[in-house]
Amino acid sequence: MRKFFPVDSLARDSRFNQITMSQSQADPRSPLMAADTDKRPKANRLQPSRPDASDAARSLMHGIFVGEIQALEGAGRTCHDFETGTEAPFALKLDMARQAWDEARHVEISVKLSEWMGSEIGQYAENTVLFEAACSTDPVLRLAGVNRALEGLAIDVFTTMKEFGGIAGDPYLEFCEDWMLADEVTHVKMGSDWLRRITENDPDRRKKALEFQSVVDKIFSFGGTRSDSQESPIGLARRFRELAGFTDAEVEDIADVSLRALEERKEFTRQAQADAVEQFAAS
Amino acid sequence: MADPFKPRAPFAPWDRRQLPGMFDVEETARRVGNYKWAEMKLFEALGGWIATVPELDVKMRLGTHCYHHAWHAELWHKRLPELREMNPDRLTLPANDAMVEFVAALTEPEAPETTIEKLVGVYRVFIPHFISAYTFHMNNTSEITDAPTIRTLKLALQDEFDDWRDGEMMLQSLIETPEEVDRAAAHHAKLEKLMLAAGGIAGPGSIGNLPAVKGN
Repeated sequence: MRKFFPVDSLARDSRFNQITMSQSQADPRSPLMAADTDKRPKANRLQPSRPDASDAARSLMHGIFVGEIQALEGAGRTCHDFETGTEAPFALKLDMARQAWDEARHVEISVKLSEWMGSEIGQYAENTVLFEAACSTDPVLRLAGVNRALEGLAIDVFTTMKEFGGIAGDPYLEFCEDWMLADEVTHVKMGSDWLRRITENDPDRRKKALEFQSVVDKIFSFGGTRSDSQESPIGLARRFRELAGFTDAEVEDIADVSLRALEERKEFTRQAQADAVEQFAAS
Repeated sequence: MADPFKPRAPFAPWDRRQLPGMFDVEETARRVGNYKWAEMKLFEALGGWIATVPELDVKMRLGTHCYHHAWHAELWHKRLPELREMNPDRLTLPANDAMVEFVAALTEPEAPETTIEKLVGVYRVFIPHFISAYTFHMNNTSEITDAPTIRTLKLALQDEFDDWRDGEMMLQSLIETPEEVDRAAAHHAKLEKLMLAAGGIAGPGSIGNLPAVKGN
């Protein structure tokens, strides 16, 4: 078995359909891609009052499911890809093994929740961008990208889903999201602790890792899917991020990056719509 | 109420633990170092394979079992300094070169069509050898002086038995044709021969026939 596993080789059964980030962002069914008219709701936050709430929640749950599979695979690869001692500390690899078990449980939970919510495996496409963050050849960058950025996003997603379950009167959903949220806070804290410990005497490596995290944070903001704005379906869970070891300044940075991603996405959408109108007129 | 000052035997009639054991501190540390090395290789392999298997149920079980073996490695890592080895890495070693060869062959399959080979290596060869080596150690070490090792062996054995059962059931559900039976058997034989050359998880004497017996 080789070291470092490419994202296009991830093994899946016949039910899964994988797509890229750009394909996902160009999906016209996304609420952020809807035409900017007076009829369009200004708030996209996932709430039971949204007309498309059921399908949006099912889609998000399927996204969580495939995300958990990739997080499981990423944690497992970190156990395998780095030599103990010379490339990664023994205790770090033990933490990654623990995370693999946690992610395996999350896959189990999200499969059962998806069934509960009335959807099937493979009903929605799988965006493989999450595993790409786990392909770095530097374990510190992997921790920054996966544990701090990706698992940080998971904190935001689970908080939103937990609130959704509470408002919708679905204690089953709320109960499961609460448990997964507890694990994700642990994983982010793991990433924060290891990042600080390993780069304690290596400021350049820490800077590089934090820059990588920022890039991943922006990508994982899903072009505005997650931010403080009500226009984003997923909110930023500031309190749980503090528990997970983020400083106030780091939370503010993520909030800024997320808002910028939202504005860029809106500008991209406006431009795409203007181009389409122009092309239609020309034809 | 019984007189609290009445002398009692230090070992109650039902406590039949014996002082003698087959292993001295040095031999115990050597074995524990071999166990830690082997458990590490196993959890690393299981972790690496998660991304390579398409079967969803197998993928999830590998993630769970990956942690079990990492935890065993951690327990052995913590035991080494208690056995006068203050640098645990010094004794975290394969039993011999044949064991290294065995692990290389075990971890060779990567393609998504080779789940049977991956599972055969772990659940029909590696884990059964852990069970036998741990059982031999547990039944032959001093029940009093080496109680901490026995406790770890019991905890690890519980996982080994559970994981073996999970793995065997996954294999039985994946093997659907006589050709697949042959594939599994061929890979089993290949790996078992390498394990035979290694003499077991802790080398020759893993389950007895030690060249020298001390402490009896």
